[in-house]
Amino acid sequence: MVSEWIGVKKIPLGPGVLLFLPMLYAMVLGAIISLPKLKLLNDHEMKHSTAVLGLLTMLLVTKLGVVIGPSLAKVAEAGMALSIQELGHFTGTVIIGLPIAIALGLGRESVGATFSIDREPNIAIIAEKYGLSSPEGRGVMAIYICGTVFGAIWIGLIAGFLAAMHIFHPFALAMGSGVGSGSMMAAATGAIATVFPEYKQEILMYAGASNLLTTIVGIYFCLFISLPLTNYFYKKLTPILAPKHVKDGESK
Amino acid sequence: MNWTEEFLIFITAGLISAAVCITGYHVPAGDAFLGCFIIVGITLLGIVLAKILPGNLPMVFWVSILAIAATTPISPVAAIVTEYTTKVDFLALCTVVLSYAGLTIGKDIGMFRQMSWRIIIVALAVYTGTFFFATLIAQIMLHLEGII
Repeated sequence: MVSEWIGVKKIPLGPGVLLFLPMLYAMVLGAIISLPKLKLLNDHEMKHSTAVLGLLTMLLVTKLGVVIGPSLAKVAEAGMALSIQELGHFTGTVIIGLPIAIALGLGRESVGATFSIDREPNIAIIAEKYGLSSPEGRGVMAIYICGTVFGAIWIGLIAGFLAAMHIFHPFALAMGSGVGSGSMMAAATGAIATVFPEYKQEILMYAGASNLLTTIVGIYFCLFISLPLTNYFYKKLTPILAPKHVKDGESK
Repeated sequence: MNWTEEFLIFITAGLISAAVCITGYHVPAGDAFLGCFIIVGITLLGIVLAKILPGNLPMVFWVSILAIAATTPISPVAAIVTEYTTKVDFLALCTVVLSYAGLTIGKDIGMFRQMSWRIIIVALAVYTGTFFFATLIAQIMLHLEGII
């Protein structure tokens, strides 16, 4: 595994073209190395890499922790905003995702796909309730795979785009970055910090606190609130957005 | 994955992070190594705590608690930990972790190719939704509280 790092190491030297940050290059390069066609990595190493990634994101968590520590009082001051914006994290996926999923003709898959951002803890919830071979399970797995493949890149671009528009305050964007996935948060935070370098410390601080909240509260929130809510809206919206599905008895 | 393996992974990651700091962000070598060493140390300790302490709380919880505790003003080591860890740029660590995230893509790319374009649009909507709505609410709340 060690040798793969070598090619990646020098990437930060590359020029960052506007919002295409060096770390995104690094990710794409990593992806190219891992392409099955190139046969640079074997199956065992591939499986291994997922476990290693889980551990390495902890380094980011530590770094954010040591940024939060000295200014804990300041984070607490924004406690209200931090807690309430979590509602945005948990419902945002449903508000935008669910209507689109139903309108595109996805059946029960749309519930699994849009009730959360579908990272590991969320998969566990769906697996327990519906099983992974159910339509809901297929939905959650599909979004999970999309997340692995382009989640971080997409969030990084969106965050950079919104930041560059200067509609939102960098602190608000930072809190928005704490979506509950280490790599996605890293990409978003990096993009925002590049647009507002003068607020870098605060951005890291708020993003870290928000991500921590999303991760810890997320499991319970998704299980007890998001999932029932998504199911409710699925029933309400399906007749409006996909009338054909109701006639078919939702069995597609 | 066993303990030795995890330990080696972190040592390697620490060395690479230090190298990225030195080449990409022009941090003096000594500071970069010490900073990365502290971060790796806290992370490892947090992971150990998560495994041995009861309650089955996620690693993220223990690692962040430990990192925050180490740098709060009341911590005896706060000054030294803060001094060296600030030298390790967050973006440098991101580069290392995201390049690794890139390496995991290959595993899923086969399945990804078989998926319909519909689910990809849904995925984009899901990620945009969570980021956008949280930002929107944060903006409103921070404004109401007079912080920004």
